[in-house]
Amino acid sequence: MPAVLGFEGSANKIGVGVVRDGAVLANPRRTYVTPPGTGFLPGDTARHHRAVILDLLQEALTEAGLTSQDIDCIAYTKGPGMGAPLVSVAVVARTVAQLWNKPLLGVNHCIGHIEMGRLITGATSPTVLYVSGGNTQVIAYSEHRYRIFGETIDIAVGNCLDRFARVLKISNDPSPGYNIEQMAKRGKKLVELPYTVKGMDVSFSGILSFIEDVAQRMLATGECTPEDLCFSLQETVFAMLVEITERAMAHCGSQEALIVGGVGCNLRLQEMMETMCQERGARLFATDERFCIDNGAMIAQAGWEMFRAGHRTPLSDSGITQRFRTDEVEVTWRD
Amino acid sequence: MQAADADAGGPAGGADNSLEGRGQGGCGGLCSAGTEAAVAGAAPRVPRPQHAPGPGGDALSTAGRPETRVHIFALGVPFPSHLEAEIACASLAPDREPHGGIVEKQLTVTDSVLAIRWRAENSRLLRISIINFLDQLSLVIRTMQRFGPPVSR
Repeated sequence: MPAVLGFEGSANKIGVGVVRDGAVLANPRRTYVTPPGTGFLPGDTARHHRAVILDLLQEALTEAGLTSQDIDCIAYTKGPGMGAPLVSVAVVARTVAQLWNKPLLGVNHCIGHIEMGRLITGATSPTVLYVSGGNTQVIAYSEHRYRIFGETIDIAVGNCLDRFARVLKISNDPSPGYNIEQMAKRGKKLVELPYTVKGMDVSFSGILSFIEDVAQRMLATGECTPEDLCFSLQETVFAMLVEITERAMAHCGSQEALIVGGVGCNLRLQEMMETMCQERGARLFATDERFCIDNGAMIAQAGWEMFRAGHRTPLSDSGITQRFRTDEVEVTWRD
Repeated sequence: MQAADADAGGPAGGADNSLEGRGQGGCGGLCSAGTEAAVAGAAPRVPRPQHAPGPGGDALSTAGRPETRVHIFALGVPFPSHLEAEIACASLAPDREPHGGIVEKQLTVTDSVLAIRWRAENSRLLRISIINFLDQLSLVIRTMQRFGPPVSR
Protein backbone atom coordinates (compact mmCIF):
# COMPACT_ATOMS: atom_id res chain seq x y z
CA MET A 1 0.00 0.00 0.00
CA PRO A 2 2.33 2.74 -1.08
CA ALA A 3 1.68 6.30 0.05
CA VAL A 4 3.00 8.90 -2.36
CA LEU A 5 3.66 12.59 -1.71
CA GLY A 6 3.23 14.84 -4.77
CA PHE A 7 4.48 18.38 -5.38
CA GLU A 8 3.04 20.64 -8.10
CA GLY A 9 3.99 24.22 -8.95
CA SER A 10 4.44 24.60 -12.71
CA ALA A 11 2.26 27.71 -13.00
CA ASN A 12 0.69 30.00 -10.42
CA LYS A 13 -0.83 27.26 -8.27
CA ILE A 14 1.31 25.44 -5.73
CA GLY A 15 -0.02 22.23 -4.23
CA VAL A 16 1.22 19.32 -2.14
CA GLY A 17 -0.84 16.13 -2.08
CA VAL A 18 -0.80 12.68 -0.54
CA VAL A 19 -2.33 9.65 -2.24
CA ARG A 20 -2.44 6.05 -1.03
CA ASP A 21 -4.04 3.26 -3.02
CA GLY A 22 -6.48 5.45 -4.86
CA ALA A 23 -7.44 7.57 -1.86
CA VAL A 24 -6.57 11.24 -1.73
CA LEU A 25 -5.48 11.77 1.87
CA ALA A 26 -4.57 15.45 1.56
CA ASN A 27 -4.49 18.08 -1.17
CA PRO A 28 -3.80 21.62 0.13
CA ARG A 29 -3.08 24.32 -2.47
CA ARG A 30 -2.34 28.05 -2.76
CA THR A 31 -2.76 30.31 -5.78
CA TYR A 32 -0.60 33.29 -6.67
CA VAL A 33 -3.12 35.94 -7.77
CA THR A 34 -1.95 39.14 -9.45
CA PRO A 35 -3.87 42.43 -9.74
CA PRO A 36 -6.46 42.88 -12.52
CA GLY A 37 -4.88 43.72 -15.84
CA THR A 38 -1.70 41.80 -15.06
CA GLY A 39 -0.46 38.25 -15.47
CA PHE A 40 1.95 36.22 -13.35
CA LEU A 41 5.67 36.38 -14.12
CA PRO A 42 8.07 33.48 -13.48
CA GLY A 43 10.33 35.14 -10.87
CA ASP A 44 7.46 36.48 -8.77
CA THR A 45 5.59 33.20 -9.04
CA ALA A 46 8.65 31.26 -7.89
CA ARG A 47 9.04 33.65 -4.98
CA HIS A 48 5.42 33.02 -3.99
CA HIS A 49 5.89 29.26 -4.15
CA ARG A 50 9.10 29.33 -2.12
CA ALA A 51 7.33 31.32 0.59
CA VAL A 52 4.50 28.83 1.09
CA ILE A 53 5.72 25.41 0.01
CA LEU A 54 7.10 24.24 3.35
CA ASP A 55 3.90 25.20 5.18
CA LEU A 56 1.91 23.34 2.53
CA LEU A 57 4.10 20.28 2.97
CA GLN A 58 3.49 20.30 6.69
CA GLU A 59 -0.25 20.80 6.12
CA ALA A 60 -0.37 17.86 3.75
CA LEU A 61 1.34 15.51 6.17
CA THR A 62 -0.83 16.64 9.07
CA GLU A 63 -4.07 16.38 7.08
CA ALA A 64 -3.09 12.90 5.87
CA GLY A 65 -2.18 11.89 9.41
CA LEU A 66 1.19 10.64 8.22
CA THR A 67 4.79 11.15 9.17
CA SER A 68 7.69 11.30 6.76
CA GLN A 69 8.44 7.66 7.44
CA ASP A 70 4.97 6.63 6.23
CA ILE A 71 5.69 8.11 2.79
CA ASP A 72 7.04 5.62 0.24
CA CYS A 73 7.88 7.89 -2.65
CA ILE A 74 8.29 11.60 -3.43
CA ALA A 75 6.76 12.70 -6.74
CA TYR A 76 7.13 16.17 -8.25
CA THR A 77 6.40 17.91 -11.54
CA LYS A 78 9.38 17.53 -13.84
CA GLY A 79 7.63 19.57 -16.53
CA PRO A 80 6.24 21.11 -18.65
CA GLY A 81 5.77 24.58 -17.20
CA MET A 82 7.53 27.76 -16.14
CA GLY A 83 11.21 27.41 -15.27
CA ALA A 84 11.75 29.19 -11.97
CA PRO A 85 8.53 27.92 -10.33
CA LEU A 86 9.31 24.35 -11.43
CA VAL A 87 12.81 24.60 -9.94
CA SER A 88 11.53 25.99 -6.65
CA VAL A 89 9.31 22.97 -6.18
CA ALA A 90 11.81 20.41 -7.50
CA VAL A 91 14.56 21.44 -5.07
CA VAL A 92 12.23 20.84 -2.12
CA ALA A 93 11.18 17.45 -3.48
CA ARG A 94 14.82 16.44 -3.98
CA THR A 95 15.78 17.66 -0.54
CA VAL A 96 13.06 15.80 1.36
CA ALA A 97 13.62 12.68 -0.74
CA GLN A 98 17.22 12.70 0.44
CA LEU A 99 16.49 13.75 4.02
CA TRP A 100 13.99 10.92 4.40
CA ASN A 101 15.89 8.52 2.10
CA LYS A 102 12.93 7.89 -0.21
CA PRO A 103 12.84 7.31 -3.98
CA LEU A 104 12.14 10.29 -6.22
CA LEU A 105 9.82 10.41 -9.24
CA GLY A 106 9.65 13.15 -11.86
CA VAL A 107 6.13 13.31 -13.26
CA ASN A 108 4.78 14.82 -16.48
CA HIS A 109 2.23 17.47 -15.49
CA CYS A 110 -0.22 16.55 -18.28
CA ILE A 111 -0.12 12.89 -17.27
CA GLY A 112 -0.82 13.98 -13.70
CA HIS A 113 -4.07 15.54 -14.90
CA ILE A 114 -5.00 12.46 -16.90
CA GLU A 115 -4.29 9.97 -14.12
CA MET A 116 -6.24 12.01 -11.57
CA GLY A 117 -9.11 12.33 -14.04
CA ARG A 118 -9.15 8.57 -14.51
CA LEU A 119 -9.00 7.92 -10.80
CA ILE A 120 -11.72 10.34 -9.76
CA THR A 121 -14.19 9.62 -12.57
CA GLY A 122 -13.54 5.93 -13.15
CA ALA A 123 -13.45 6.47 -16.92
CA THR A 124 -11.81 3.41 -18.49
CA SER A 125 -10.29 4.60 -21.75
CA PRO A 126 -11.60 8.05 -22.60
CA THR A 127 -10.63 10.57 -25.22
CA VAL A 128 -9.15 13.29 -23.05
CA LEU A 129 -9.57 17.01 -23.63
CA TYR A 130 -6.81 18.65 -21.58
CA VAL A 131 -7.41 22.40 -21.41
CA SER A 132 -5.67 24.87 -19.14
CA GLY A 133 -3.82 28.17 -19.13
CA GLY A 134 -0.68 26.43 -20.35
CA ASN A 135 -1.89 23.48 -22.42
CA THR A 136 -4.56 22.52 -24.93
CA GLN A 137 -4.40 18.94 -26.20
CA VAL A 138 -6.71 16.13 -27.23
CA ILE A 139 -5.18 12.90 -25.99
CA ALA A 140 -6.01 9.23 -26.30
CA TYR A 141 -4.19 6.25 -24.86
CA SER A 142 -2.75 3.71 -27.25
CA GLU A 143 -0.03 1.11 -26.78
CA HIS A 144 1.74 2.51 -23.77
CA ARG A 145 1.65 6.17 -24.75
CA TYR A 146 -0.74 9.03 -24.23
CA ARG A 147 -0.90 10.08 -27.87
CA ILE A 148 -1.66 13.65 -28.85
CA PHE A 149 -4.39 13.62 -31.49
CA GLY A 150 -4.88 17.35 -31.70
CA GLU A 151 -3.56 20.46 -29.98
CA THR A 152 -3.21 24.19 -30.15
CA ILE A 153 -0.71 25.35 -32.73
CA ASP A 154 -0.02 28.52 -30.76
CA ILE A 155 -1.41 29.46 -27.34
CA ALA A 156 -3.54 27.47 -24.92
CA VAL A 157 -7.24 28.24 -24.70
CA GLY A 158 -6.82 29.25 -21.05
CA ASN A 159 -4.04 31.61 -22.04
CA CYS A 160 -6.39 33.23 -24.57
CA LEU A 161 -9.06 33.65 -21.88
CA ASP A 162 -6.60 34.92 -19.26
CA ARG A 163 -5.07 37.50 -21.58
CA PHE A 164 -8.50 38.67 -22.68
CA ALA A 165 -9.40 39.13 -19.02
CA ARG A 166 -6.41 41.46 -18.69
CA VAL A 167 -7.71 43.66 -21.47
CA LEU A 168 -11.00 44.13 -19.63
CA LYS A 169 -9.19 44.32 -16.28
CA ILE A 170 -11.28 41.42 -15.00
CA SER A 171 -10.20 40.24 -11.55
CA ASN A 172 -7.78 37.30 -11.34
CA ASP A 173 -9.34 36.18 -8.07
CA PRO A 174 -9.98 33.25 -7.83
CA SER A 175 -9.00 32.94 -11.50
CA PRO A 176 -9.66 35.06 -14.61
CA GLY A 177 -11.41 32.14 -16.31
CA TYR A 178 -13.90 31.78 -13.48
CA ASN A 179 -14.79 35.47 -13.65
CA ILE A 180 -15.16 35.37 -17.43
CA GLU A 181 -17.54 32.44 -16.97
CA GLN A 182 -19.70 34.40 -14.53
CA MET A 183 -19.81 37.44 -16.81
CA ALA A 184 -20.58 35.27 -19.84
CA LYS A 185 -23.76 34.07 -18.14
CA ARG A 186 -25.02 37.67 -18.34
CA GLY A 187 -24.03 38.09 -22.00
CA LYS A 188 -26.86 38.46 -24.48
CA LYS A 189 -25.31 39.32 -27.82
CA LEU A 190 -23.11 36.98 -29.86
CA VAL A 191 -20.29 38.91 -31.46
CA GLU A 192 -18.88 37.07 -34.44
CA LEU A 193 -15.26 36.05 -33.89
CA PRO A 194 -12.85 34.10 -36.10
CA TYR A 195 -13.33 30.34 -35.80
CA THR A 196 -9.97 28.66 -36.23
CA VAL A 197 -10.02 24.88 -36.27
CA LYS A 198 -7.18 23.51 -38.37
CA GLY A 199 -8.00 19.87 -39.03
CA MET A 200 -7.27 18.07 -35.79
CA ASP A 201 -5.70 21.20 -34.27
CA VAL A 202 -6.83 24.64 -33.09
CA SER A 203 -5.37 28.14 -33.03
CA PHE A 204 -6.19 30.90 -30.55
CA SER A 205 -3.72 33.73 -31.04
CA GLY A 206 -5.65 35.19 -33.96
CA ILE A 207 -8.90 35.17 -32.01
CA LEU A 208 -7.14 36.90 -29.14
CA SER A 209 -5.76 39.67 -31.38
CA PHE A 210 -9.15 40.06 -32.97
CA ILE A 211 -11.11 40.28 -29.76
CA GLU A 212 -8.60 42.64 -28.13
CA ASP A 213 -9.11 44.93 -31.10
CA VAL A 214 -12.87 44.53 -31.18
CA ALA A 215 -13.14 45.15 -27.44
CA GLN A 216 -11.60 48.62 -27.74
CA ARG A 217 -13.90 49.61 -30.55
CA MET A 218 -17.20 48.07 -29.53
CA LEU A 219 -17.05 49.01 -25.87
CA ALA A 220 -16.29 52.61 -26.82
CA THR A 221 -19.31 52.80 -29.11
CA GLY A 222 -21.49 50.83 -26.74
CA GLU A 223 -22.19 48.32 -29.46
CA CYS A 224 -21.79 45.51 -26.95
CA THR A 225 -21.04 44.97 -23.29
CA PRO A 226 -18.04 43.23 -21.68
CA GLU A 227 -20.48 40.41 -20.78
CA ASP A 228 -21.35 40.00 -24.46
CA LEU A 229 -17.66 39.69 -25.31
CA CYS A 230 -17.07 37.10 -22.56
CA PHE A 231 -20.06 35.14 -23.81
CA SER A 232 -18.95 35.34 -27.46
CA LEU A 233 -15.38 34.31 -26.72
CA GLN A 234 -16.46 31.29 -24.68
CA GLU A 235 -19.01 30.15 -27.26
CA THR A 236 -16.43 30.37 -30.03
CA VAL A 237 -13.43 28.75 -28.39
CA PHE A 238 -15.46 26.06 -26.66
CA ALA A 239 -17.18 25.09 -29.91
CA MET A 240 -13.73 24.69 -31.45
CA LEU A 241 -12.64 22.42 -28.61
CA VAL A 242 -15.80 20.33 -28.91
CA GLU A 243 -15.14 19.93 -32.64
CA ILE A 244 -11.59 18.63 -32.29
CA THR A 245 -12.56 16.35 -29.43
CA GLU A 246 -15.39 14.92 -31.50
CA ARG A 247 -13.04 14.39 -34.42
CA ALA A 248 -10.64 12.41 -32.23
CA MET A 249 -13.50 10.38 -30.76
CA ALA A 250 -14.67 9.53 -34.26
CA HIS A 251 -11.16 8.38 -35.25
CA CYS A 252 -10.82 6.22 -32.16
CA GLY A 253 -14.37 4.96 -32.01
CA SER A 254 -14.39 6.20 -28.43
CA GLN A 255 -17.48 6.16 -26.23
CA GLU A 256 -16.01 8.19 -23.40
CA ALA A 257 -14.74 11.75 -23.12
CA LEU A 258 -12.88 13.17 -20.14
CA ILE A 259 -12.15 16.87 -19.58
CA VAL A 260 -9.13 17.76 -17.41
CA GLY A 261 -7.22 20.97 -16.69
CA GLY A 262 -8.32 24.27 -15.17
CA VAL A 263 -10.52 25.29 -18.10
CA GLY A 264 -12.35 21.99 -17.55
CA CYS A 265 -14.01 23.55 -14.49
CA ASN A 266 -16.05 25.70 -16.85
CA LEU A 267 -19.67 24.54 -16.73
CA ARG A 268 -20.52 25.95 -20.14
CA LEU A 269 -17.71 23.91 -21.71
CA GLN A 270 -18.98 20.83 -19.88
CA GLU A 271 -22.49 21.55 -21.12
CA MET A 272 -21.40 21.86 -24.75
CA MET A 273 -19.28 18.71 -24.52
CA GLU A 274 -22.21 16.85 -22.95
CA THR A 275 -24.45 17.82 -25.87
CA MET A 276 -21.92 16.46 -28.34
CA CYS A 277 -21.42 13.27 -26.35
CA GLN A 278 -25.14 12.63 -26.11
CA GLU A 279 -25.49 13.02 -29.86
CA ARG A 280 -22.85 10.31 -30.26
CA GLY A 281 -24.16 8.08 -27.49
CA ALA A 282 -20.96 8.66 -25.55
CA ARG A 283 -20.40 9.44 -21.88
CA LEU A 284 -18.78 12.60 -20.57
CA PHE A 285 -16.58 12.66 -17.46
CA ALA A 286 -15.37 15.74 -15.66
CA THR A 287 -13.96 16.57 -12.23
CA ASP A 288 -14.57 19.48 -9.87
CA GLU A 289 -12.21 22.36 -9.17
CA ARG A 290 -10.28 20.40 -6.52
CA PHE A 291 -8.82 18.21 -9.26
CA CYS A 292 -9.36 20.16 -12.51
CA ILE A 293 -7.13 22.94 -11.34
CA ASP A 294 -3.43 22.10 -10.86
CA ASN A 295 -2.96 20.27 -7.56
CA GLY A 296 -0.39 18.15 -5.72
CA ALA A 297 -2.52 15.02 -5.44
CA MET A 298 -2.63 14.56 -9.20
CA ILE A 299 1.17 14.41 -9.27
CA ALA A 300 1.06 12.00 -6.33
CA GLN A 301 -1.46 9.81 -8.19
CA ALA A 302 0.59 9.66 -11.39
CA GLY A 303 3.61 9.05 -9.18
CA TRP A 304 1.77 6.21 -7.45
CA GLU A 305 1.11 4.49 -10.79
CA MET A 306 4.67 5.02 -11.93
CA PHE A 307 6.16 3.87 -8.62
CA ARG A 308 4.21 0.62 -8.66
CA ALA A 309 5.32 0.04 -12.25
CA GLY A 310 8.94 0.39 -11.18
CA HIS A 311 9.79 3.88 -12.46
CA ARG A 312 12.43 5.84 -10.54
CA THR A 313 14.10 9.17 -11.26
CA PRO A 314 17.78 9.28 -10.28
CA LEU A 315 18.79 12.64 -8.82
CA SER A 316 21.17 13.28 -11.68
CA ASP A 317 18.22 12.96 -14.14
CA SER A 318 15.82 14.94 -12.03
CA GLY A 319 16.29 18.34 -13.70
CA ILE A 320 13.12 20.18 -14.63
CA THR A 321 12.21 20.83 -18.24
CA GLN A 322 9.94 23.54 -19.58
CA ARG A 323 9.04 21.47 -22.63
CA PHE A 324 7.85 17.93 -21.97
CA ARG A 325 5.54 16.29 -24.46
CA THR A 326 2.78 14.09 -23.11
CA ASP A 327 3.76 11.26 -25.45
CA GLU A 328 7.39 11.21 -24.26
CA VAL A 329 6.53 9.06 -21.27
CA GLU A 330 6.23 5.30 -21.61
CA VAL A 331 3.00 4.43 -19.83
CA THR A 332 4.04 1.03 -18.54
CA TRP A 333 1.35 0.91 -15.88
CA ARG A 334 -1.44 0.39 -18.44
CA ASP A 335 -1.94 -2.43 -20.93
CA MET B 1 35.67 30.62 1.53
CA GLN B 2 38.07 31.96 -0.94
CA ALA B 3 38.34 34.91 -3.24
CA ALA B 4 38.57 33.64 -6.75
CA ASP B 5 41.16 34.97 -9.09
CA ALA B 6 40.17 36.07 -12.51
CA ASP B 7 41.22 33.36 -14.87
CA ALA B 8 40.39 35.62 -17.74
CA GLY B 9 42.88 35.74 -20.53
CA GLY B 10 42.96 39.50 -20.15
CA PRO B 11 45.04 41.56 -17.77
CA ALA B 12 45.38 40.24 -14.28
CA GLY B 13 44.04 41.90 -11.16
CA GLY B 14 42.39 45.24 -11.27
CA ALA B 15 43.63 46.54 -14.54
CA ASP B 16 40.35 45.46 -15.97
CA ASN B 17 38.98 48.41 -17.86
CA SER B 18 35.45 47.23 -18.11
CA LEU B 19 32.68 49.28 -16.63
CA GLU B 20 31.86 46.42 -14.30
CA GLY B 21 35.39 45.86 -13.14
CA ARG B 22 34.38 43.92 -10.08
CA GLY B 23 33.72 40.90 -12.22
CA GLN B 24 37.00 39.34 -11.38
CA GLY B 25 35.52 37.37 -8.59
CA GLY B 26 33.26 37.71 -5.64
CA CYS B 27 33.76 36.28 -2.28
CA GLY B 28 30.45 35.02 -1.05
CA GLY B 29 31.26 34.75 2.57
CA LEU B 30 29.77 32.15 4.82
CA CYS B 31 31.12 33.14 8.15
CA SER B 32 28.70 31.57 10.55
CA ALA B 33 29.32 28.13 11.86
CA GLY B 34 25.67 27.28 11.76
CA THR B 35 23.52 25.97 8.98
CA GLU B 36 22.37 29.43 8.05
CA ALA B 37 24.21 30.21 4.87
CA ALA B 38 24.11 33.92 4.27
CA VAL B 39 26.10 35.81 1.76
CA ALA B 40 28.16 38.22 3.82
CA GLY B 41 28.13 41.49 1.96
CA ALA B 42 29.17 42.32 -1.53
CA ALA B 43 32.27 41.35 -3.38
CA PRO B 44 35.35 43.31 -2.38
CA ARG B 45 35.62 46.46 -4.44
CA VAL B 46 38.43 46.64 -6.94
CA PRO B 47 39.87 50.14 -7.19
CA ARG B 48 39.05 51.69 -10.57
CA PRO B 49 42.19 52.18 -12.54
CA GLN B 50 42.94 55.52 -14.17
CA HIS B 51 42.97 55.54 -17.93
CA ALA B 52 44.56 57.90 -20.30
CA PRO B 53 41.84 58.91 -22.71
CA GLY B 54 42.33 57.54 -26.20
CA PRO B 55 42.38 59.68 -29.27
CA GLY B 56 39.30 61.88 -29.22
CA GLY B 57 37.70 59.95 -26.41
CA ASP B 58 37.33 59.90 -22.65
CA ALA B 59 37.92 57.07 -20.17
CA LEU B 60 34.52 55.59 -20.83
CA SER B 61 34.93 55.28 -24.54
CA THR B 62 38.17 53.37 -24.13
CA ALA B 63 36.53 50.90 -21.75
CA GLY B 64 36.09 47.37 -23.07
CA ARG B 65 32.53 46.05 -23.31
CA PRO B 66 31.65 44.35 -20.02
CA GLU B 67 30.25 41.32 -21.77
CA THR B 68 33.52 40.31 -23.37
CA ARG B 69 35.34 39.62 -20.12
CA VAL B 70 35.22 36.26 -18.43
CA HIS B 71 33.87 36.71 -14.94
CA ILE B 72 34.34 34.19 -12.17
CA PHE B 73 32.36 34.05 -8.97
CA ALA B 74 32.97 31.55 -6.21
CA LEU B 75 30.77 30.82 -3.25
CA GLY B 76 31.39 28.49 -0.32
CA VAL B 77 28.52 27.30 1.86
CA PRO B 78 29.35 25.44 5.09
CA PHE B 79 26.94 22.79 6.35
CA PRO B 80 26.85 20.97 9.68
CA SER B 81 27.96 17.70 8.05
CA HIS B 82 29.32 16.23 4.86
CA LEU B 83 26.02 14.42 4.23
CA GLU B 84 24.01 17.63 4.42
CA ALA B 85 26.38 19.37 2.05
CA GLU B 86 25.96 16.45 -0.37
CA ILE B 87 22.18 16.63 -0.03
CA ALA B 88 22.15 20.33 -0.84
CA CYS B 89 24.46 19.74 -3.78
CA ALA B 90 22.28 17.00 -5.22
CA SER B 91 19.17 19.17 -4.81
CA LEU B 92 20.66 22.21 -6.51
CA ALA B 93 22.81 20.71 -9.25
CA PRO B 94 20.33 18.98 -11.61
CA ASP B 95 18.55 21.99 -13.12
CA ARG B 96 20.33 23.44 -16.10
CA GLU B 97 21.11 27.12 -16.50
CA PRO B 98 18.87 28.94 -18.97
CA HIS B 99 20.24 30.70 -22.09
CA GLY B 100 22.27 27.79 -23.39
CA GLY B 101 25.79 27.85 -21.98
CA ILE B 102 26.35 31.57 -21.46
CA VAL B 103 26.63 31.09 -17.69
CA GLU B 104 28.33 27.95 -16.42
CA LYS B 105 28.32 26.81 -12.86
CA GLN B 106 29.85 23.87 -11.10
CA LEU B 107 28.97 22.49 -7.71
CA THR B 108 31.39 20.46 -5.63
CA VAL B 109 31.47 19.23 -2.06
CA THR B 110 34.63 19.12 0.02
CA ASP B 111 34.18 17.91 3.59
CA SER B 112 31.12 19.78 4.75
CA VAL B 113 31.39 22.75 2.41
CA LEU B 114 29.39 23.11 -0.77
CA ALA B 115 31.44 25.10 -3.26
CA ILE B 116 29.89 26.72 -6.32
CA ARG B 117 31.95 28.27 -9.05
CA TRP B 118 30.42 30.40 -11.80
CA ARG B 119 32.00 31.38 -15.05
CA ALA B 120 30.37 33.75 -17.54
CA GLU B 121 31.17 36.39 -20.09
CA ASN B 122 27.91 38.22 -19.58
CA SER B 123 27.92 39.99 -16.23
CA ARG B 124 24.20 40.70 -16.21
CA LEU B 125 23.26 37.04 -16.72
CA LEU B 126 25.89 36.04 -14.18
CA ARG B 127 24.34 38.33 -11.60
CA ILE B 128 20.88 36.94 -12.30
CA SER B 129 22.14 33.38 -12.02
CA ILE B 130 23.79 34.05 -8.69
CA ILE B 131 20.72 35.74 -7.25
CA ASN B 132 18.43 32.92 -8.40
CA PHE B 133 20.82 30.35 -6.99
CA LEU B 134 20.89 32.07 -3.62
CA ASP B 135 17.08 32.06 -3.51
CA GLN B 136 16.95 28.32 -4.23
CA LEU B 137 19.80 27.64 -1.80
CA SER B 138 17.93 29.47 0.90
CA LEU B 139 14.88 27.31 0.25
CA VAL B 140 16.95 24.11 0.44
CA ILE B 141 18.44 25.20 3.75
CA ARG B 142 15.04 26.09 5.19
CA THR B 143 13.77 22.69 4.06
CA MET B 144 16.64 20.95 5.77
CA GLN B 145 16.12 22.97 8.94
CA ARG B 146 12.43 22.22 9.05
CA PHE B 147 12.30 18.61 7.85
CA GLY B 148 15.78 17.36 8.73
CA PRO B 149 18.11 16.13 10.05
CA PRO B 150 18.74 13.39 7.49
CA VAL B 151 17.64 9.91 8.62
CA SER B 152 20.42 7.45 9.24
CA ARG B 153 21.40 5.42 6.24
